[in-house]
Amino acid sequence: MTTAVQPSGGGGNFGGPSSSSLADVIDTILDKGLVIDAYVRVSLVGIELLTIDARVVVASVDTYLRFAEAVNRLDISGTEQKGLPDLLEDVNSGGAKAKTSGVLEAAGDKLRDILGEDEEEPERAGRGRKGRD
Amino acid sequence: MAGQTETAVYVYGIVPTDVETEPEARGVADAPVTTVRGDRIAALVSEIPRDQALGTPEDLTAHAALLDGAAAEAPVLPLRFGAVVTTRDAVKEELLTEHQDDFAAALHELEGKAEYVVKARYVEQAVLREILGENEELARLRESIRGKPEDATRNERMTLGEQINNAIAAKREADTRRAADVLAALDVQIAPREPTHERDAVHLACLAATAEQADLEAAVGKLAQEWEGRAEVRLLGPLAAYDFVVTKQPEG
Repeated sequence: MTTAVQPSGGGGNFGGPSSSSLADVIDTILDKGLVIDAYVRVSLVGIELLTIDARVVVASVDTYLRFAEAVNRLDISGTEQKGLPDLLEDVNSGGAKAKTSGVLEAAGDKLRDILGEDEEEPERAGRGRKGRD
Repeated sequence: MAGQTETAVYVYGIVPTDVETEPEARGVADAPVTTVRGDRIAALVSEIPRDQALGTPEDLTAHAALLDGAAAEAPVLPLRFGAVVTTRDAVKEELLTEHQDDFAAALHELEGKAEYVVKARYVEQAVLREILGENEELARLRESIRGKPEDATRNERMTLGEQINNAIAAKREADTRRAADVLAALDVQIAPREPTHERDAVHLACLAATAEQADLEAAVGKLAQEWEGRAEVRLLGPLAAYDFVVTKQPEG
């Protein structure tokens, strides 16, 4: 089964509903939904979960320095000059169009987190989570 | 089932008892998905090895895809990723039979509805220009450190970055309000979500009638048009109602 996506009905450059990327899925299923522990006590099985808290620490020193770098590189006159995140996007997506790059970038971020290749944001180290027992 | 002691039952969610799974439906660890049926409700489950850790990108995607696929067709109460119970009998007795009334009532409320998520993310260069244009002090700070060595201007860079972050947070708040206002014109329930990216402009979940999805698309399309070049707007869904199910408070 795949995520059901209805045909586009939107206006402007908005292409209607899009399917969930891995980053979207992570935003949703790790800390939302019913918690089995509240319903099942006796027969619960503790399974090791590889998942990590992939949420971005929105206000962090790392974020500040990245913004400073991006604004430093910003060509205020409006001619094309890429900031650091854009360059990274190109690496992740092989130069995807701007329209979809946000999604790809996010997925790339989260994938790096999951795979533990966290060189960009070292304070977001992976945290193995042991299932409940 | 063979090897009963070595396998366990992964539970995805609760559905009305008449929901059928497709034979080709696959879940975490690529296992076939079946139902455990109670009188009025059923659980979507698959078998998994007891000793295998879960949480690969494939596992996460499989969990979401199964539940979202189900939500497009029938009401479904999604469980958080990683719910594992010893046996099918235990799913039936402890999960379904024990909590049948609660689950059936919740499913009834979700009849004909699904969750949709509205996400908008600022286009970096556009939002930075917007912020510098609105704030002379920041524009001056930028000029003062421009081209200077990073080590020598670390404190100034921190200040600049923090203020940009704060400015984005203020924009996020205003734009989230704007999005909520647009959605409020429709007959939907709204649940705000925490931002999960530093350039998030809007992150909202809403519960809407699947029959009225076109109205939702039109409303979100209007936002996309309004913010063209400034923020990328996306609508996800229909999804299972992750943001609208409430876990019963444990008693005692």
